[in-house]
Amino acid sequence: MKLSKSLLNAILVAVTAGTIISCQKPKVDDGKKPGTEKSKKSGVPVSCPACGMG
Amino acid sequence: MSKIFSSISCNLDEDILSAALPLFETEKVEAIEWSFDTLFKFGNIPDWFIELLQTFGKENRLIGHGVYFSLFSGRWSKQQQGWLTHLEKVSAAFQFDHISEHFGFMTGKNFHDGAPISIPFTANTLAIGRDRLKRIYHSCKCPVGLENLAFSYSLEEVKKHGEFLDELVEPVNGFIILDLHNLYCQVHNFNIEFDDLIRLFPLHRVREIHVSGGSWEESGIIPGKKIRRDTHDDAVPEEVFRLLEACMPMCPYLKYVVLEQLGNGLDTEHKRKLFRCDFIKLDAIVKKEKNLRRLTGENTFLPSKNIIPVQPPEDKLLHVQQLTLSNILETAANYSHAVHLLQSSILSNSDWETEKWDVFMLETAIAIAQKWKHGFN
Repeated sequence: MKLSKSLLNAILVAVTAGTIISCQKPKVDDGKKPGTEKSKKSGVPVSCPACGMG
Repeated sequence: MSKIFSSISCNLDEDILSAALPLFETEKVEAIEWSFDTLFKFGNIPDWFIELLQTFGKENRLIGHGVYFSLFSGRWSKQQQGWLTHLEKVSAAFQFDHISEHFGFMTGKNFHDGAPISIPFTANTLAIGRDRLKRIYHSCKCPVGLENLAFSYSLEEVKKHGEFLDELVEPVNGFIILDLHNLYCQVHNFNIEFDDLIRLFPLHRVREIHVSGGSWEESGIIPGKKIRRDTHDDAVPEEVFRLLEACMPMCPYLKYVVLEQLGNGLDTEHKRKLFRCDFIKLDAIVKKEKNLRRLTGENTFLPSKNIIPVQPPEDKLLHVQQLTLSNILETAANYSHAVHLLQSSILSNSDWETEKWDVFMLETAIAIAQKWKHGFN
């Protein structure tokens, strides 16, 4: 499906500027309090696993 | 002739979007599936992601895939009510063509922790599942469906899964997501022929097919036994593509074929390239099938009526059993310890039939529950 150039540019900027993160990894029990450096970044959306938890 | 859309699972994830961007640029992606309940820590979704969802939504090419509703939890929770409220809001904001959820209940103590695990197929669980699907429909007002689960405790359970799914979705005239990698897991884990397994599923209810990769894990109990797991962190096996080719003609109402991969499997450019190659392969199979597809009648996958009781039905015993099982799976030091705990728990000699569970699947259940018990980063 065709997406507008402005939308494609916005996605490109977001993935290259690091304004979103990849965080779909199970949280390792390291004895620390919940939250990681990435997820603590103010305003950075955090997405949890969509599927694949089998 | 209805069109089948070559689709990707698309969430707000840097690696997924990096992998998908060249496919978007070349107009290859015909529909997207968004897990609308996975963004919960921050209320503000970037404008461009909203535009992406709305662009596909306006063309009736946006589908929603829930993860955390925990359909079969014995006790109705505030979080489930909140999940429905959230669904109602996102359904008003975005035009979903359908909404789906996973089979099973979530093992975690807290919402968004844990992983989906199967339940006994009983009249009580059937009643709970049907009630919850009606509530989902009430919130989204579009077709509602369920995905087959990769995990099963035994071969007997694998064989009953399709029929139980059919019974579950029947009151809402719902659909089934046929996850081919989940079936691939079961074919390998339980040594069952795919041709025998696929016949046990209500293929007239399949509106969506999932294609993904996974991983192998050595059993620590049975020497030489390899367990296939649905981890979505690797490329799609060739065998799964062959299953796609075999299945598509059997599913007269198929509308979406979705490539799913987690962001953690797309953290290098090489892996992202493999993802795109998988999508091109998937698209070629879908396009080929379009030319051969039989004409079929219409199914709206909408219920003729949807009456739900004010109070959601609950099963307190099931709830306690689920808490017990979650606790055992999350805390057992090893397989033998888990067996000992199960034998001395209320799950022993119950509908759960823990005595019949395959050794390597209990081992896998422990691994799954302990992997996800703290949620995600």
